[in-house]
Amino acid sequence: MTEQIEKPFITVEELYQKSQQRVALSILNNTASFSRKIRERELHRPGLAMSGFVDVFTFWRVQIMGNTEIGYLTTLPPDERRRSLETVLGFELPCVIITNNHTPPGELLEVANKHGITLFSTPLDTTTVTHHLSEYLETVFAEKTIIHGALVDVYGVGMLITGEPAVGKSELALDLIERGHQLVADDVVQITRLGMNRLEGAPTGRIKHYMEIRGLGIINIRSMFGIRAIRGKKVISVVVHLEKFTEDRDYERIGIDGKFREILGVQVPLVELPILPGKNITVIAEVIATNQKMRDLGENSAEDFNKNLINAMKDQENG
Amino acid sequence: MIEKKFRIKNKLGIHARPAGQLVKVATRFKSAIYISRNGNEVNAKSIMGVLMLEAGHGSEVIIRINGEDEFSALEAIEELIDKRQFDEE
Repeated sequence: MTEQIEKPFITVEELYQKSQQRVALSILNNTASFSRKIRERELHRPGLAMSGFVDVFTFWRVQIMGNTEIGYLTTLPPDERRRSLETVLGFELPCVIITNNHTPPGELLEVANKHGITLFSTPLDTTTVTHHLSEYLETVFAEKTIIHGALVDVYGVGMLITGEPAVGKSELALDLIERGHQLVADDVVQITRLGMNRLEGAPTGRIKHYMEIRGLGIINIRSMFGIRAIRGKKVISVVVHLEKFTEDRDYERIGIDGKFREILGVQVPLVELPILPGKNITVIAEVIATNQKMRDLGENSAEDFNKNLINAMKDQENG
Repeated sequence: MIEKKFRIKNKLGIHARPAGQLVKVATRFKSAIYISRNGNEVNAKSIMGVLMLEAGHGSEVIIRINGEDEFSALEAIEELIDKRQFDEE
């Protein structure tokens, strides 16, 4: 059911546009290297490469020039400055970001233009730029996968509904929307792993907030139910797997030994729900969300009940 | 209809996990299966019913079975309560 998406990249142009709100880049020279691709989330400070050591120069990363680099350049006589910059900018860099609104030395502009490299400037300091850009690039290059199912925000709990085709995933999602919960994605959920163990789900492209209901066709949830019925993305807290009820299958009756589903290496609590005619799955889904919320807050109904019961039985035994 | 007395030997008695095991075994059979303690009888296919009995270590329960597969059901329940002691110490 899950498939890996090809390792992504973004162009310098996308970086420039999409990081505006975070780091407010402005173009110092031209857009010559706008079409170059960035394939890694790490940033690089080229200080050591400027001094001539280029053996391990990670030139394919976004280059950040801060106080150190600009300060170093100003200590060099003009011809050495030019030679130093030729060494660094001679590589096929995606772009260079100059922090603290530093005015670049004339040679920097010249050499950058010669090699067709875009120079950006930002008013922020190096640490702040590094932080915000890394965060942005992390979401771009995070591990992603696509899962067939519906993602709904139920009482603030991200619930991923999975199951065989035609088992009623979309119908459950629709029923939840009708009761005031929010749709994130239906049918195709794009999942991104953030950090070690957070999974974020979002709709993919054009099918965003549209839904297919068998027997009816495609409906637009946003126009039909309004802006309050939708949500752009949501961290996934629980997976509800719907399946047709079969006699010979054991379903969870206690809820102490939790089940999990692994997605992108993250263990997500799993509830397997048998579908029977006349059963109100929507109400059960709401209870699952509430129960998950309680568990996340350290309260486990089943465990608490069992503790009390065991104590009561011990008291009886002791007289 | 058949009936049999059992003494609960595992240390913690019939708490949630053993109750789950008993219900799982009982639901495999077509027969009606009941479990009682101190005169309170409940359906052995109901978790909450079985838990209500609060059958702790050393307590005595009676299993009553009625149906076409009652003998094999009793055998399976004997296996769980006496031989395996709910897989607990």
